Amino acid sequence: MTVKVEVGAGGIPHNQILIYGLVGSLVLIYLTYLNVIFDTTVFSFLGGLGAVAALVWGTDTIKHLCSYGLGTGVPSAGMIALGSGVVAMLLATTTGILAPIVALIVSAIVGAIAGFLANKVVRMDIPVMIMSLTELAIVGALTLLGFAVMVGGTFDFLGLAVGTTTFLGFTVESYAASVIGGSIVAVLFMLGAIAIQHSFNACLGPGEQQDRTLMLAAECGFLSMIVISVMSFAFIGFIPAVISLVVSVAGWYYTYAKYIELSKRDAYAWLDAKPILEPKGGA
Amino acid sequence: MEQILFGIGITAMAGALATVAGAAEDTESDIGSQGDPNSQVQLAPQMGYIHRIFNKAVAGEPPAYGLWVALGAGIAWAFMAMQINAILAIVIGSALAVFVQGVYATTAYLGRTASLAKFGQPVYIDIIKSVTTVTMAHAFVAIFTTVAMCHLMNAALGHPFPLPLLGLVWGIALGAAGSATGNPFYGKERQYQEQKFGAGVPISASGNIVRYAEAGQRSSIDNGWFTTKLGGPASGVCFGLIVFFELWRTVVFEELNVWAPIIVGVVIILVFMVIDRYIEVWARKNFGPYTTETEEAAA
Repeated sequence: MTVKVEVGAGGIPHNQILIYGLVGSLVLIYLTYLNVIFDTTVFSFLGGLGAVAALVWGTDTIKHLCSYGLGTGVPSAGMIALGSGVVAMLLATTTGILAPIVALIVSAIVGAIAGFLANKVVRMDIPVMIMSLTELAIVGALTLLGFAVMVGGTFDFLGLAVGTTTFLGFTVESYAASVIGGSIVAVLFMLGAIAIQHSFNACLGPGEQQDRTLMLAAECGFLSMIVISVMSFAFIGFIPAVISLVVSVAGWYYTYAKYIELSKRDAYAWLDAKPILEPKGGA
Repeated sequence: MEQILFGIGITAMAGALATVAGAAEDTESDIGSQGDPNSQVQLAPQMGYIHRIFNKAVAGEPPAYGLWVALGAGIAWAFMAMQINAILAIVIGSALAVFVQGVYATTAYLGRTASLAKFGQPVYIDIIKSVTTVTMAHAFVAIFTTVAMCHLMNAALGHPFPLPLLGLVWGIALGAAGSATGNPFYGKERQYQEQKFGAGVPISASGNIVRYAEAGQRSSIDNGWFTTKLGGPASGVCFGLIVFFELWRTVVFEELNVWAPIIVGVVIILVFMVIDRYIEVWARKNFGPYTTETEEAAA
């Protein structure tokens, strides 16, 4: 697309959203460690909520980065975020309880290198590029980690890479029936990548408003959580998966209704089955 | 020999499923104005052309279909892991993926249109009610057939990739086939029917897309009806051929040598390059020259 990207001014400062998103996401992902402490999986849904916090922050970062006139770059920004993030996230899962912190550090390094290459080697010369790609890589890693915890109940590599399957009536451990071995990570990757870029891509234009864009970011996160909770029936128990499903449907319904309300507020007119309103003076 | 015959049968069936998928995918994206024709739909109100066309900006088609098909495959995989019948699992997976697609479509239309308030483009809420369901129906056909095709590759041909990963790969391929083959028919032909044939899209005509019908106003469903005639089937043949040749070369030639399918793949690409070049030259000769000033760079 060759549409000029314009963004609305005002709203909450980006740095404030960065702090809330980063801390909120880390704390929520760490809270899923309650699963290990209480030997259960009912706290898995907190991982999804952590991913939503990261997605809201990532959307604001994309808005910040793409205000430099990157029209077609909006979906690509989502892809590079999750692409840098998945490497860091998989590496981090091997470090046990340190996983969220390691994911943060490794993804920051990967993102900074990607930003350096984009600015100095590809010569895009966008002032916020290095910082934005660093942030996006962290967002990608935390989103994937949160979603992986939600579907698999743990952020430990062995927990994600070894599943159980029933063979001739016996329950056996199987690599192929796990979150990583079954490539559920690929689905999580796409869910995160589309969710992170969609909100700004959908709301861009001269009438863009921060609260509407960020509400849509949360909506995309909760929508992803709904389908992830459906997939989690195969990995975590029935009751924990139902809890995840109820939390995500409730969150999605609230944010979707709120988003429609905000769109109604910002729209020129809200018409039902009316003809084209030609502008005064003709086209 | 029996193994090869069985493989060719599965290959033919996968190709047939892919053909249906490609046709449905292109029709779905044209009804929603996804992909590159979207830029004109987005631009039109800014040039003063208020319209009633759906504006479904959910990334490009390849990433979007990568998600829908991977999601359908992922949910189907999870249900199959819970010992549920494969067909039922694929249907449930595709249905949930279509739900996600529908929600994304409505939020894209609302967001893009609300952000165009400055130019006097209203939100027509009846478009969401009537058009979203039509795109969802087409998306269901596209996702179901593609996931079924991936399941055939995995279960019958013994492809080593798990179902969700195959879904991601073939979903991106499906989106790319529909975007590259079918979109020009909508973007260059349908949107600019008011321009002279062969005139290209000059800058002055930017945003002047077809908005009125023979009677009343054009809706995006009319666009779907228009592109189903040629754009959809062309995308279907494109994706069907991709899937068919991809599987056929492996099934038939793998027995000879591990390298044989790769060599055959290169030969197929060369043959198609010759065919493409011939068609291009033939079309240029018959439909007039295209000069640099009328050739619009594909966005």
